[in-house]
Order: sequence, then structure tokens, then C-alpha cells
Amino acid sequence: MRKIETLAMILAGGQGSRLGKLTKEIAKPAVPFGGKYRIIDFALSNCVNSGIKNVGVVTQYQPRELNSHVGNGAAWGLNVHNGGATILQPYASVDGEKWFKGTANAIYQNSSFIDQHNPDYVLVLSGDHIYKMDYQKMLDFHKLKKAALTVGVIPVPIDEAPRFGIMNTDQTGRIIEFEEKPKEPKSNLASMGVYIFDWALLKKYLDEDQAKRRELEDFGKDVIPSYLSNGENIFAYAFTDYWKDVGTIESLWEANMEFLDPTHALNIRNSDWRIYSQNPSAPPQFLTETSKVNDSMVVDGCYIAGEVTHSILSHNVKVGKGSVVENSIIMAGVTIGENVTIKYAIIGDNAKIHDGAQVIGQEKEIMVAGYNEEIGGQTDEEA
Amino acid sequence: MKKHKISAILNLKEDDLRLLPLTEKRSVSSLPFGCRYRLIDFPFTSLHSASIDSAAFFIAGNGRSLHDHIRSGASWGLDSSIGGGLFPHTETAIREAVEMEKVDQINSFYHDQIHYVMRSKSEYVVMMGSKMLCNIDIQAVLRYHQEKEADVTVVYKNMTQPDYVGSEDETYLLFDDQKTDRITSLVSFDKLDTKTKKAPVNMNIVIMTAEKFIELATQAGKSKLKSETMLLFKDHLDKINVVGYEYTGYLKNINSIKNYFEANMDMLNETNYNALLNRGDSIITKVKNGAPTFYSKDAKVKNSQFASDCLVEGEVENSLIFRKVTIAKDAKINHSIIMQGSQIGEGSSLEYVILDKGVRIGENVHLKGTPDDIKVIKKNTVVEPKRGVKA
Repeated sequence: MRKIETLAMILAGGQGSRLGKLTKEIAKPAVPFGGKYRIIDFALSNCVNSGIKNVGVVTQYQPRELNSHVGNGAAWGLNVHNGGATILQPYASVDGEKWFKGTANAIYQNSSFIDQHNPDYVLVLSGDHIYKMDYQKMLDFHKLKKAALTVGVIPVPIDEAPRFGIMNTDQTGRIIEFEEKPKEPKSNLASMGVYIFDWALLKKYLDEDQAKRRELEDFGKDVIPSYLSNGENIFAYAFTDYWKDVGTIESLWEANMEFLDPTHALNIRNSDWRIYSQNPSAPPQFLTETSKVNDSMVVDGCYIAGEVTHSILSHNVKVGKGSVVENSIIMAGVTIGENVTIKYAIIGDNAKIHDGAQVIGQEKEIMVAGYNEEIGGQTDEEA
Repeated sequence: MKKHKISAILNLKEDDLRLLPLTEKRSVSSLPFGCRYRLIDFPFTSLHSASIDSAAFFIAGNGRSLHDHIRSGASWGLDSSIGGGLFPHTETAIREAVEMEKVDQINSFYHDQIHYVMRSKSEYVVMMGSKMLCNIDIQAVLRYHQEKEADVTVVYKNMTQPDYVGSEDETYLLFDDQKTDRITSLVSFDKLDTKTKKAPVNMNIVIMTAEKFIELATQAGKSKLKSETMLLFKDHLDKINVVGYEYTGYLKNINSIKNYFEANMDMLNETNYNALLNRGDSIITKVKNGAPTFYSKDAKVKNSQFASDCLVEGEVENSLIFRKVTIAKDAKINHSIIMQGSQIGEGSSLEYVILDKGVRIGENVHLKGTPDDIKVIKKNTVVEPKRGVKA
């Protein structure tokens, strides 16, 4: 039987409900980031850059846009004969409909897909995070420690630790305790939602659980405690570079604004660890005679006749004369008319901001225009 | 109803002498254009828009740069495993064969074309090149061709005399006296009637049925004709019905550095930009993964176009900047074309300059050309102050 070393499973079913309008119709991993990416591009690119060519993408919540974005994985070079990207969605069977009840349950329900690849290791990832990470190094660590499970952890400031799942380790990095959102944290090592499992062992746990209490629904809450109580070897692998979970509108805005800094830790221009995405064909960006663009990122297809400062403009954004865009994120296909003011805002894909309209937020209260939303441009009858 | 299947023959053995040094190691068809394209993207996009999924192209030389760009043709939908595909033909010795009248080789050139057309099982054949830069709707030409019940339809654009100055490599259409669209001869610029003020320039885009093509190409092979598209029917204009289709969009003959420079600069005019790059479907090119372009706090940019992945800290005006270009603080760029991967150091200035790919301009280097004498810096050149240009 054909065998591979590592299969990656990206859990991309999250709703991200705190992102409000931005995740009403699309899943959080499909939310645009940094002008030309979507959040899931980071996990997908990390896989490819780490030499992992077989990737399952598990989707559930509002999957249409996410599924079409991932497609057959060609944008990430995954459409090769010994690799591939596969979208995995809940399905109905003779046992009834089977929604994924949690992270571990999503893996269990896709066991047959995993078995078909026959991997030694399953790398479980979240499609929600922005970071550049070499999973191969973590896998080397996993093998060296002869671990049953290795959990990627990131040190967070201790006062923020109560927001995360915290791993308490011994002096060799072995995890001896897991605490979900502890009030009084004993360590600052937060789980990144990155796991390497020995597939045979995990499968045994998940299979046997079906004959027992069917309680292994979630990796953090159920599987890790179960492994711990059976004395399995779980190690923490510390990751110390940039890692961001953009859970809220404000943190999404903030992460984008940080990304504008040319010295940003993600080092997006580094071609040794590229972040790949779908690249639509669009004409070059056009900055006209009346434009003024500073401290901003702009991509293909943009037409700018107004002023843009400290902002990110995605594909095919038009900014008319006399308009001002400041400290804002403008997603793809947005049309901004003339004499519009946009400050501290996130404007969703294909929104239209009509002449003279104002969308003004504040640093702690970012204004959001949803996808396809129209602002301003009232007719005479309404006025 | 089943759509009429069209196959395409691209003649890419185009004269590039007046484009040197840009064409030293690339064909006209793989010349970079408009910040993110190559000239071949324009005919290929026209094929794609017309749902043509098969093309044969004929090149001279090894075509490394062209092949590197088009790969399998997948970007333009030319890689279908059912009835489609891209068929490269390298005719290294065709010019010599014509000059030396090597009948076998000329015959084989036409034989290859006939073979391709027969195998493609298409109903129509469209022939085009890449140096007549335009954005043509091939299906519209086909509808015209069918409606006129023509044997051959040739695409042309009416340029206005005396503004338009013709060139040696162009031919112009003469129509019959009845003021119809029937073409009676192909002439050079000086044979045109100056009173009409019109110069109907032949765009070297031709459509005909596969049957007619096979008939004409067989004759051409037998009579040792050169490999140019027009020669297929030039001698038969009195016997067969050849009509002209008037194209009204953007057109530029990329046959010299000056025209190449002007065509790029034309894109800074919104009418031209929209006509060539923004009409209907976007122009398709090989996609690249690059970061967004960053304009710093100090950047001053006016009337310019950029591809992605650039880092702009200096001043840019009336210029076109390709992918992955860095422009340092206090550098000034005006009326220039900067190709992929070039770097411009602090305090340097460029005016009426074309930098080919990967050129490095050090600090405080000043290069200046004029509108009539564009300064071209060759690929991968390093230019330092005082020491001057070093290849």
C-alpha cells in the first residue's frame, strides 16, 4: 500500500463570529488579509514550503467562497501527481447527517480520507492564524522526542494567558498538564492549534471511543487530557516568531496596520518563504496625476485619483478624485466615488461608497462596510 | 448549436533588429509590456476570449524566454486534454531556407501548418502575430467574415495621415473602386493616396476557413513562397474575395525602441489604458506570487503605473514600473520604463530611460535620454557613479 510520511489536515470550519459582518457569509479562514491574501493562505503556504504536499481542508461553516479559493490547490503548487489539496465537508450517510462536533470529531469523521493516504503522521492545523512556520522542524522535534503528540505552543504575555489553552510542561518540554483558559495560569505557553499526531495511535483512540462514551470531540478539551491520563508522551514545541489570531474586527484591523510596516516580522517580501494565493488577472495599478499615496500597500487593478495614507488596497479598488482614505483596509473590487472620506474603517469586497459619503471610525471602534454594501448616494426622493 | 471551432496559427518570427538590445535574448513576442505583460499575452488573451483552445506557433531560435513565459499554456486555457493544446514549431532556418530557395524546408513549413489545421479538425483558421499590439475580438471578426461570405478576412485599422508615419515593415490595404470592403491590393505607405487622409494599416490578422487555408497553403508551398501570412493570398486578390474588417481599438506596431517606448507611455493615457487593458476580459498573463507594492511615507508618485511587489520610496512620474522593482529615497524617475527586478539607488535620477530586467543603478547615478533617443540599459547591468555603465 502506498504510504506517505505526513498528511496535513487544515481545520477551516470556524465561523469567527466576533468578526461580525465580515464572517456573515464567509468562513473566517477565507477573510481577506494584507491586500492580496486570505487568512488560510498562511497555513496552506506553510505546508507547501515545509515540503508537505498532501493537504485536506476541512470546511463546514459558509464554505462556498473558501472552497472555490482553495480549489484543487493549484495556486499553492499542490496539483501534482503525488500530492493534492482536498476539500472535506460534512456529509450524510446511513447513520444520518454528520456535522463535525469539534476538532477531534472532524478528524475522526475523515478517517477514511486519512487512511487512504496512509500517513505516519497527521499534522493538524487551524486555518485561522497568520504566521510563517516550518512544520518540518516541528516534525523533526516530534521524531527526536519519540512523542505520541507534539503541540505547537507560543509564549504569550502572562496576563493574556487566561484567554488561551495553556500547556504546563516539565523541564524537558513534556506536557504534564493542560488548562483551558486558566484564571491563574502556571505557564505562558499557549496552544497554537498546531498538532502532530502519530496517526496509528490517534486512530486507535478515536475508533475505540466510538464503542465507549464518544467523548473525544475536541483536541484541547478531550484528546489531550485523555492522552495525559494514559501517560502518553506529549511534547510542547515552542514557536517564537510572529503568530496572530485575528479574532475580532479590531484585531484584524490592527494586524493589517502592523503588516504595513516594512520591517514587519512576517517579512512578506522574502521569496524563500513565499505566501501564495489565488492571483486574479488585473491591469497594473494606476496612480493618476491627482493621486497621493503614502505609507500604503496597493495591488493590481487599483486606480487611484485620490489620497491614500497608511492603508491597504486590495485588487481592483477605485478611489475617485478628492477622496481621502486613511488608516483603512479596502478589500477587493471596492469602488470609492469622489470626495469620499474613509478613516479607521474596513470596507468589504465589492462595496460601493458613493460621492461625498463619509465612513469614519476610531482606533478603538473600527467602522465596517460589509461585502457588496452601498454607502451614500441617496436619491433625491430620499433626501 | 455547436460552436464553430477555430484553430490559430501564430507567426512569431517577427523582425526585431530595431528593438535591439531588448531583443538580444528574447523574441518580440516575449517583450515585457505595460508593467506586467509580455506581448504574446495579447494574442493569447484574444484566443481565450474567443474560446479558442488550440494554437500552433512558429518561432525562430530556441524561444527560451517565450517558453518560460507560456509553459503549458494553461494560463490561457490552451492546455485542454480534449481537442486543445499548444503546438510549438521552431523554424531555426526558415529565413535562410527562403533566401537559399531550399524547397524542402519551405514545403515543410507549410506542411506543418496544414498538418496542424487538419489535425485540429477546426472549421476556421485565424492567423496572427504579436508585434501589432492590439486587443481584438476574434469572434466578431468571424461573424463579419461569415456575413460577408468572404474567402479571407483581413483586419486593419484606419490611421490618419499625415499624423501617422508608416514604416517599411507595414503594408496597407487598397479597396476596390466601388467603395466596398473588398481588398484589391496590399501596398507600401508611399503608394497610398494622400488625399483620403486614411492609412488602412494591415494588422496581419487573417481569418478563413480551414478548407481555404489548406488550398492556399498548398499552393504557397509549391511556389516556394516565403513564410509570411499575407503572401498566402496576395497573388490571388483578383480571383478570391478578400475583405477588410476595420478595427477601431488601440493599435501600435512594436517594431522599434521608439514605438515600444511610446506604446508603454500610451498606457498612461486613460483612454488607451482602458482600450487595451481594461476592455471586456482582463488581459491574461502568467500569474506570479508577489507581495503588494509598498509606497513609503516619502514616496511621491504621479501619473504612473506599477506591478506588484515593488518598494517605492522615491519620486516617480510618467513612468511604468514592473514587478519587484525597488526605488530608494530621493531617487527621481521620470518618463521611464523600469523592468522586473531592477533596483535604483538613493539620489539617482532617470529620464527617458528603459531599464531591462535586473538592472542595478547605484547611488547618485544620473541617466538621461530624450524622447527621440531613449537610453536603453541592458539586462542585469550594474551602473555605478563615475565608473559608468558596466555589463
